[in-house]
Amino acid sequence: MFRRVPPLKRINKASSNISTLGSSIVNVINHSKSTTPLLSNYYSTIAANENNSSTLPVKSTDILIVGGGPAGLTLAAAIKLSPNLKHFKTTLVDAGNLSENLPKFHNLSSSAYMTNRVVSITPQNMDFLTGDLNLPLQFNRIQPFDGIYVSDGLNDTSRMTMDRESMGNMVELLNIQSSAYMKLLELNANNNTNPIEIADNCKVVDIVKPSTTNATANGVENTNPWPYVKLDNGETYKTRLLIGCDGFQSPVRKYAGIETRGWFYNEWGVVATMKLEYPPFNHIRGWQRFLPTGPIAHLPLPGDWATLVWSTTPELSKLLVSLPSNVFSKLVNAAFILEDGDMQYYYRKLSDAAVDKRIFDEIIEDIDYRIEVKSQQLINKNNSDMYYVDENYPPPIKDTLEKSRARFPMKMFHADTYVAPRVCLVGDAAHATHPLAGQGLNMGLGDSKSLVSVLEKASSRGLDIGSVDLCLNDYWKDRYGTNMMLLGVVDKLHKLYGTRNEVVVGLRQWGLNVVNNLGDVKEFMMNVVSGRK
Amino acid sequence: MFKRSFSLTRIQHIKRLQSSSSSVPKYSTSFLNSNVSKTTARRSTSFLNGHPAAIDTSNKVNPDEKSHFETLAPTWWDSKGSQRILHLMNLARMDFINEILRNYKVQLNANNSNGSKNDIDTDLYIPRFTTSVFPTEIKKNIENELNAAIYKELQKSELTVLDVGCGGGLLCESLARLPFIKKIDGIDMTPAVINIAKQHQSLDPVLAEKLTYAVRSIDEQKGQYDIVTMFEMLEHVDDPKEILISGWEHVKSNGGILFLSTINRDLISWFTTIFMGEYVLKVVPLGTHHLSKYINSREIIAWFKEMYPLSHEVLQVKGTMYIPGKGWVNHDCSNVGNYLMAIQKK
Ligand SMILES: Cc1cc2nc3c(=O)[nH]c(=O)nc-3n(C[C@H](O)[C@H](O)[C@H](O)COP(=O)(O)OP(=O)(O)OC[C@H]3O[C@@H](n4cnc5c(N)ncnc54)[C@H](O)[C@@H]3O)c2cc1C
Ligand SMILES: C[S@@+](CC[C@H](N)C(=O)[O-])C[C@H]1O[C@@H](n2cnc3c(N)ncnc32)[C@H](O)[C@@H]1O
Repeated sequence: MFRRVPPLKRINKASSNISTLGSSIVNVINHSKSTTPLLSNYYSTIAANENNSSTLPVKSTDILIVGGGPAGLTLAAAIKLSPNLKHFKTTLVDAGNLSENLPKFHNLSSSAYMTNRVVSITPQNMDFLTGDLNLPLQFNRIQPFDGIYVSDGLNDTSRMTMDRESMGNMVELLNIQSSAYMKLLELNANNNTNPIEIADNCKVVDIVKPSTTNATANGVENTNPWPYVKLDNGETYKTRLLIGCDGFQSPVRKYAGIETRGWFYNEWGVVATMKLEYPPFNHIRGWQRFLPTGPIAHLPLPGDWATLVWSTTPELSKLLVSLPSNVFSKLVNAAFILEDGDMQYYYRKLSDAAVDKRIFDEIIEDIDYRIEVKSQQLINKNNSDMYYVDENYPPPIKDTLEKSRARFPMKMFHADTYVAPRVCLVGDAAHATHPLAGQGLNMGLGDSKSLVSVLEKASSRGLDIGSVDLCLNDYWKDRYGTNMMLLGVVDKLHKLYGTRNEVVVGLRQWGLNVVNNLGDVKEFMMNVVSGRK
Repeated sequence: MFKRSFSLTRIQHIKRLQSSSSSVPKYSTSFLNSNVSKTTARRSTSFLNGHPAAIDTSNKVNPDEKSHFETLAPTWWDSKGSQRILHLMNLARMDFINEILRNYKVQLNANNSNGSKNDIDTDLYIPRFTTSVFPTEIKKNIENELNAAIYKELQKSELTVLDVGCGGGLLCESLARLPFIKKIDGIDMTPAVINIAKQHQSLDPVLAEKLTYAVRSIDEQKGQYDIVTMFEMLEHVDDPKEILISGWEHVKSNGGILFLSTINRDLISWFTTIFMGEYVLKVVPLGTHHLSKYINSREIIAWFKEMYPLSHEVLQVKGTMYIPGKGWVNHDCSNVGNYLMAIQKK
């Protein structure tokens, strides 16, 4: 399958700065170390020598998009759909096997299984994908949901329900990528004079800036020369505008020398695709509980599927992906209802080197028992019936899909700028956030939308779209503040819930309940999550 | 300190005003009354002959203006340098041109297809607000289609352009990048700026085929064009009406359009372009403007009425104003300060 992250193998090669997505994600912890030797490489202003290391002629393009992730492919579709931009010769490069994986995914006949990279897309961005871009999404694989039920793991009584009709839509990244890819194929079929060129299975290995004086034949000084992008298949492109949709490790960002600010949360996220005991029969909503080790989120997918993002300590994340799937599934159920003390006990037991089948069975039995007891307590305490548990806790999961577990380091970072001469950054190349508010790709789609309208304006004015001053700066100005606000809110929420400090926990209880009752603040948070401002 | 430099510039300025306007009364005379009588205006040849400077209009460029633009040439393309204001103004006038072409392209097309029935589906021009009643998805689709349809029509147009007084080529390059412009000729009387224009053109491959520059006077220029432009140049020539007459001759009839921009001759213009622009904010190179050469938009309109009563239509006149930090903003008050104008030839 496409782009799965190897769960445990730690690839630590300082030399391969640009690696496949999978290894780069495992590699980022050593980010600062591993990039240092490479910067000199990226900064080099080699006189653009058209037959430098390769004998192939340099290809020329107006827009080169590096990265065929969800950001890159939707941006490409937006560009090719725009009456103002479609005349630009556009090229997209990606390291993965897009031409095989994406059509295959698109032609899956049913939702027989769900993939593990699922994001929540705001209604606004759904409009962008289905309205502006008219992407042939597989709607039977998308689950709209009406709210998120947030609770505090140290504090059962504090909870907040954020209910709102169509708060968001759970969509697989592959669904977005493949529909954008199919759209591009369709557009190419209708426009054979200027189709987008999709160069997949090739990595960008180097980007160089030609020196400003030698760039043209007649010796005129060129203050804004076109960058040369070298691929591992020996080809070189020179491009009017280079758009980095190339994710966190962004070689484009490094080429442009754009600095970033941010940090790792010493927390890893475990994702998994889960099968429920029974499909939810009441509200379709997401569930999020702030455990002292990090938030755990259980989000709805069509039918009896659900997806999980469990943020936790690096050690526990390793443990979680290595457990047998039945043990893992029980642990997820436990995490949403049992006490912190219980969870600590299970973690300890499972971390034991001597853990074996017997202990797994014991633990499963123990969890079942304690959940039973806790449910009964809750029912009695609230003078209620069975439905109380269904109403206030996520539907229990039966099993976890084979091979669907993967882990990612959690980080928050923001590039100082998104633009440089002939360069701009979109999506995770420009920013990344903790997934607790489900904003990552939403910010990326907001970037795409904004960039397209800035380019449209510049193009209708006949400007060189590689100009920072007259064109690209408007994009950065439009997006930086909004993204900064979102990054800030998410980070503050994370800090607030990342502690066991009693005073803070007390305040949190007070806080969640107050927020739950305070229309304005809650409204604000719901707006952030659902993308309305 | 501020006060001192303030009064100094003011004195300098008044001196300049006095010297530059010594021969021309400041407000009383419009640019045409002094030279054209109503009867001669009708017949353009006698009008030309009757003019004292007409003997060698073709090669006439004011030597002061020429040397002024020569010194500016090397920094012409630095969008943060001496010509920043012009770079920013270029954005506003491209918006203006786009708006005019979108609204009046029908005639241009008719002109191009040589009388063959033009196939524009006028139903497409539903006003934008009516789409707001539709759900977003449909609305977006309609808007996309509408845009695409307008563009498709425009794209068929293959327009030709003559840019008179093109300078370093800001407008020429912008127009040349538009897919529906087929060919553009830029002419100017200052060799140094044409050099710069040519050099800069060589930096972008997309410009190679469509764009040609020449040091040439408008009278020496041959051919007729769908569009003739004279941006920020009438205020730099000694005989604006000569230039206008020749320019108009290069506009195709049946829908060709003359675009021009210049500055109203009023106190507001003096204040914004000379006092603020050149002296206080220093965003315009000193000595760029001379109030006496400014022409009121009304004068141009009146003059066209007299000269070409039946063969022209003023499509649009817009004021445009520089707001620091915001750039040039087009507005409806075309009688003050800078303005843009589009005149169509019938
Ligand atoms: C656990 C988790 C949960 C999340 N939940 C949500 C959510 O609910 N809502 C939400 O909006 N977001 C969420 N996100 C964030 C979201 O997944 C990302 O923001 C999104 O995938 C970023 O897309 P992108 O296209 O910018 O970058 P990427 O998906 O990283 O794509 C980068 C692409 O560039 C290519 N590439 C990189 N380098 C090179 C090179 N040198 N040569 C060629 N190609 C290259 C790669 O192959 C890849 O295809 C979540 C993230 C995580 C980790
Ligand atoms: C302020 S610049 C404007 C340049 C360009 N039209 C623009 O707006 O970007 C004025 C230009 O008019 C040119 N010019 C002045 N007198 C001229 C004349 N008589 N014929 C042709 N060009 C002239 C100058 O050389 C100069 O390049």
